[in-house]
Amino acid sequence: MKEIVILHLYGDTLDLYGDFFNVTCITSRLDQLGIPCRVIAANLGEPFDPMAADLIYLGHGKARNLAAVAGHFLPFGGRMREAVEADKLVLCTGSSRLLFGQSFQTFDGREQPGIGLFDYTAIETGQVFTGDVVAKAAFDPDLTTYGFINRTAHLVGKNTHPLFRVIQGPGDGEAPDGLEGTFYHNFFGTWQMGPLLARNPGFLQEILRRLLGPEVPLNYDDALEQKALRLTLGEFKLS
Amino acid sequence: MRFLLAVLVGRLIRFAGRFSGRATNLPGQVALRICPDFLGRLRFDGKIIAVTGSNGKTTTTNIIAHTLRQAGYTVAINEEGSNLTAGVATTLLSRCTLGGRMPQDFVVLEVDERYSPLIFREMTPDIFVVTNLFRDQVVRNGNPDIVFEKIESAIAPSVLLVLNGDDPISQRLAPRNPRVYFGMERTDRSFDRSQFLTHDCKVCPKCFHRLGYRFYHYNHIGGFHCDFCGYQTPPLDFAADHVDFAAGRFQINGMPARVTYRTIFHFMNTTAAVAACVQAGLSLERAIAGAATFSVSRVRYDEMDLCGRKGVLMLTKQNSASLDQSISFALEQPEEKIVVLYVNNVLYTENKDISWLYDVTFERLRGRVNSIVCSGNRACDIGVRLRLGGFAPEEYQVVEDLGRIKDAVGQTGGAVYILAASAFGDEDGILEALK
Repeated sequence: MKEIVILHLYGDTLDLYGDFFNVTCITSRLDQLGIPCRVIAANLGEPFDPMAADLIYLGHGKARNLAAVAGHFLPFGGRMREAVEADKLVLCTGSSRLLFGQSFQTFDGREQPGIGLFDYTAIETGQVFTGDVVAKAAFDPDLTTYGFINRTAHLVGKNTHPLFRVIQGPGDGEAPDGLEGTFYHNFFGTWQMGPLLARNPGFLQEILRRLLGPEVPLNYDDALEQKALRLTLGEFKLS
Repeated sequence: MRFLLAVLVGRLIRFAGRFSGRATNLPGQVALRICPDFLGRLRFDGKIIAVTGSNGKTTTTNIIAHTLRQAGYTVAINEEGSNLTAGVATTLLSRCTLGGRMPQDFVVLEVDERYSPLIFREMTPDIFVVTNLFRDQVVRNGNPDIVFEKIESAIAPSVLLVLNGDDPISQRLAPRNPRVYFGMERTDRSFDRSQFLTHDCKVCPKCFHRLGYRFYHYNHIGGFHCDFCGYQTPPLDFAADHVDFAAGRFQINGMPARVTYRTIFHFMNTTAAVAACVQAGLSLERAIAGAATFSVSRVRYDEMDLCGRKGVLMLTKQNSASLDQSISFALEQPEEKIVVLYVNNVLYTENKDISWLYDVTFERLRGRVNSIVCSGNRACDIGVRLRLGGFAPEEYQVVEDLGRIKDAVGQTGGAVYILAASAFGDEDGILEALK
């Protein structure tokens, strides 16, 4: 099988709370499946080609760091939009999702344009907003997920392509409409931060199926991951 | 009038609480209810030294108070954990006169980093020590930038800062304020490359270009330099050097110094405390001599007998750098050992987030301990973390039921290092289960 290439964007700068383990989750399962893979990094000041990778990952960053990468990311916006429209697989956890909207407020009150792929804009509150999120995934209504949100900004604008229907916890904005995240072609974006794929083996399977194609069987043992998620969800009093 | 009433009522509640055995923040809470600007109305005869930071603030506060007392001064200090507004108020009202005067030579306060704006709005410290800033307790703190901004907003222009020159984050606080830097020169345990997953300064906090390091002490603490904008570790006013970890000996500005607890955190905290005490008026010699007799709180580190085996309990909060240091300490002990990881939900909020476990470099334990036992109500999640770190199934056991943990540990050999990463107080559960 051909080598899988993962592009980890701004891993130096958007780097909070272990979210690079989302990449490790993918590479470690590919290893187990005997599929060769390679992770390439592109950081501030370095060029990248969205089309040259099979999967692009961006993680959660501090507000100042996000503002610093936004200017670098903007010139790649056209190529990035084309890539998403052409079904390129993209995963964004935490604040990196703001780069793909119309604009967001920076920590010092500037209006920073995003690449405009989605309609949302973000308002910086300066307040820390955290919470557990239990949700149903848009790509599989039978899949219940657990995640954690830690943000200072919130999204405004109608969410026309939600990734999650929230059962418990905060959604995209301060007045939750029960929707969270963005799911569009093969773009997966969510406020949920940290090792999301480690905590949600079903979400990891979905990413791998889209990465490898439905014909590749995912023959690996994720019983421990499934059990960990089951126990976590069992602690919530869900109606 | 309200102020004096607040002092009186607060003292009465504290007095009553002593008999019921409940030492809480209630006296301070009530005093603040009666007189919201209670802190601002207190009168101080002596100097106020405040300490904050992600790691080491309790220990550094205690070393400062101990050292000042050794030098013959009277000191008021807040007890461990009482570092929010009500805790600080409780401390002060229990040590002030009925007229609201603090008669001590020094008031030494550990201040929660998020609460510093609230506390400092009422009372300005003379000296403010910031030990370091890290990603820490995500549920409470968000991220280090947010904490940085909160602290910076709290610093009045007159405050003398004691800052960690080896920390690229906190060193930048309030650049116009008078300041001294403490730090540590390269040791035989310094690294040329980062050994830890948690690194909060991969890029320069000023210009966002990649930050270079001459050496790392731990995580993002070390001798750093940015080749692009020139930001770097400044010349140190209080430099720890010639660190001998095994003997607990080192030098501060060339003068021999000692510690009883031989971790790099403790050498750093001691250096910070000595710097603060010298700024408070002690001679360097006297500060070093006083700090040398400090012994670390048993609340955070304890040894015990567990069914004939040596047991070691180390507590951390949901803080990856702190757990990394507990792992370092365990690995530095030459004996055979197992590690019991005990992680529960976040206290008070019951959040089930374990993202911070992915910032801890558990990988260093591979092949160096007999077994790892994962316990607490996040036991399975620790197991998932270890599996992703490359541990083989036979290298760790997941024990969700505390009732089974004694058997699981009984099947292993060596000293038992319990790394309890939850909130202080709920480690009793694991200790009971193992006894």
